[in-house]
Amino acid sequence: MRRRCPSPSWAVGLAALALWAMLGTAGAETLLRTRLNADIRSTDPGTNRDANTDAVVAHVVEGLVAFRDDTSIGPMLADSWTVSNEGKTYTFRLRQGVKFHNGATMTSDDVVWSLKRWLDPTTQWRCLSEFSATGIARIEKIEAPDPQTVAITLDQPTALFLPTLARPDCGQTAIIHRDSVGPDGKWIAPIGTGPFKLGEWKRGQYMDLVRFDGYVSRSEPRTGYTGAKDVKVDRVRFNVIPDSSAAKAGLLSGSLDVIMSLSIPDLEELKSRPEVQLSITPALGLTGILFQTRDPLLKDVRIRRAIALSIDTAQIVDAVMQGTARPNNSALPIGSPFYGEVQSHGYAQNIAEARKLLLEAGYRGQPIKMITNKRYSFVFDSSVLVQAMAQAVGINIELEVMDWAAQLDRYNRGDYQSMAFVYSARLDPSLSFEMLTGPKATQPRKVWDNPEAQEMLRQSMITDDTAKRQALFDEMHKRFIADVPMIVLFNGAELTALRKSIKGYAGWLYPEPRFWGVTVE
Amino acid sequence: MLSYLARRLAMTIPTLLLVAIAVFALVRLIPGDPVQVMLGDAADPAQAAQLRAQLGLDQPIPVQFMHWIAKLAAGDFGRSITNDLAVLPLILERFQVSAVIVLVAVAAAACIAVPAGLVAAWKQNSLLDLSIVGGATLLLSIPSFWLGLLLLLLFGLKLKWLPVIGYVPFAENYWQAATFIVLPIATLTMVEIGVLTRMARAASIEVLRLEYVTHARAKGVPEWRVLARHVLPNAFAPTWTLIGLVLGHLLGGIAVIETVFTLPGLGRLLVDSIFARDYPVVQGCLLFTAVIYVVVNLIVDLCYPLFDPRVTVA
Repeated sequence: MRRRCPSPSWAVGLAALALWAMLGTAGAETLLRTRLNADIRSTDPGTNRDANTDAVVAHVVEGLVAFRDDTSIGPMLADSWTVSNEGKTYTFRLRQGVKFHNGATMTSDDVVWSLKRWLDPTTQWRCLSEFSATGIARIEKIEAPDPQTVAITLDQPTALFLPTLARPDCGQTAIIHRDSVGPDGKWIAPIGTGPFKLGEWKRGQYMDLVRFDGYVSRSEPRTGYTGAKDVKVDRVRFNVIPDSSAAKAGLLSGSLDVIMSLSIPDLEELKSRPEVQLSITPALGLTGILFQTRDPLLKDVRIRRAIALSIDTAQIVDAVMQGTARPNNSALPIGSPFYGEVQSHGYAQNIAEARKLLLEAGYRGQPIKMITNKRYSFVFDSSVLVQAMAQAVGINIELEVMDWAAQLDRYNRGDYQSMAFVYSARLDPSLSFEMLTGPKATQPRKVWDNPEAQEMLRQSMITDDTAKRQALFDEMHKRFIADVPMIVLFNGAELTALRKSIKGYAGWLYPEPRFWGVTVE
Repeated sequence: MLSYLARRLAMTIPTLLLVAIAVFALVRLIPGDPVQVMLGDAADPAQAAQLRAQLGLDQPIPVQFMHWIAKLAAGDFGRSITNDLAVLPLILERFQVSAVIVLVAVAAAACIAVPAGLVAAWKQNSLLDLSIVGGATLLLSIPSFWLGLLLLLLFGLKLKWLPVIGYVPFAENYWQAATFIVLPIATLTMVEIGVLTRMARAASIEVLRLEYVTHARAKGVPEWRVLARHVLPNAFAPTWTLIGLVLGHLLGGIAVIETVFTLPGLGRLLVDSIFARDYPVVQGCLLFTAVIYVVVNLIVDLCYPLFDPRVTVA
């Protein structure tokens, strides 16, 4: 009897099928799809930029130091540093074996070249003014005593040197390879050291980032823009989708995996969807009501205080942010390591006291114009609630809605009675006060014109003694609350929606995403 | 015909110059500037002044205008402030996307609306007429963004027949490109059907009342022939003018549809540029749209005698 054997052709076919399946699996690319509400401006870090540009570029380039999750400064391309010569010279020891995207190994020569490029006025680096005569300190010398060491000498000590180097809007003072620019000095594309390389950029449509296989990761756990950057996807696509409804539809249909910067109504709607998970993180931005203290009516602190006492901050935050943010009357964000017991004391609603102050000030219902905008729904909603609460004590606030650019114009000129405004994140407490404090004669955008506060702010920028800085911030907070140049309401939250298949995503205090450590299942 | 064309073209020059002046002045009158948008709430005055000087925005407005006009005369629309791209290629690239959608949508709307209007007029005051007029009024009343979102939810999200976001040019993948533009075209078509049907109906009613129609019917010409040979050509002429207007209007106002369906078209470029106060792009887009208006109107006028021989161009 003959035994039946599988025919050779059948076996070959089976083997081919198995091979095809294996190759198919091996070749399958993992793609993470996310959304930008507008296209990025350029790929040149910290120059022609906006928040979207910073968010994308932060995946491609790195600086000597970077912010950690708690906004403290951690090492990134530098392994360590020492400060000498009365706080003026910073000597950085570079990490060994760090590769640029073109395969070259990073040395101190690259660091010196990059820093000099940023400091060249023709580069138009956003943070150049910080290192000018009117900025935090002037850089006097950049030296490279050996291939792993860089020494930077400043003209005066400052606590803000490292935080400024790490600022995302400064492009993290990226260390890039000199081939990022052409022989004529013109920008080509970033050859950075980040965990992703630039991929295809179709303007107005999408920007692709591709995993950099030569990336040498730090060993500490992921924290802020430093720590381990273990990329677990092959490609990240940032789709340009201006309309939030379209983005939401994209997420629900499975065309998108992650959408950031959700509005509160979107969040409410997505909460009930089984295929979606949410990431809610406290943010560092600051929403509040600014007063023009030079206005004939509002220069009277009693009227400003009456408005502050007429409102219930907690109720406003609850209504506007639906439980995703906490009330905060301090200029320091709740997430700051310098936010303490002192900062938790703000304005408590006191209708009787508010009425008494108005009577004393001789207020007779004169209208107070408050500029607001609908670009940020939480800003508009806050202004409506402040208007309603102030009305209850007889304060007549009239809202004037503007588009963001028009409001910015009025803000920068100080041309307003009051306005509901949102400040972007500041990662150092001195910078939080700096955005509010200054002489209005030369800087009309500043809301708090108090020479003593300005001196305290200056001190906080020079000293790096934590206790001394804390004491200065505490005192500034008390005076800020007493002067009422503005009413800080809350810091907001970064709201992100993800498909359930996305694992490992984590928001942090800075409201921009990080796509290292994230997997698509 | 040629002298008419030459006269019409010559007339467009002052028109476009006036548009250029108006566009330039209006854009500069809006508060806020690109520098403020770029630097946001952290605009250091020195840095802002430096950026303004670099962009030439520190020059007096008449100087800026003359500079722009001189460049325009050489065919240079300038460079985008936000991303440093040449404006004209940017506009032309985006225009291709908008043009395909608008042309197909208007053609489809005309193909549906003209017969529908004719039938409604023919069966005036009947249930059919009422349904057509009712349907047209309904479509006319629906905001295009809302209709777009509904279609997106139904065909993209519920039925999953079509992609929800994205865009692929026809040159890359014909089939995929079609799937991305089906819904925007359907939305625009539905919105424009309303306007065109009502116009076609009104024009057809006028023609149906004319003596030659009664005469044709009296001669025993079949009803379909009366409609096709006598009513349709005469009723189409006024509708054709409206189609021209709709075409121009849509090219200028397609921003909403492009935003809803995330299409990188001219309308979205214009809106994004206005929010960013990207003056060269805003000016370029508006001037380009004005040129399109002029060209479309010229084509409509030149084609008019084809539909109504009583009109001659000389």
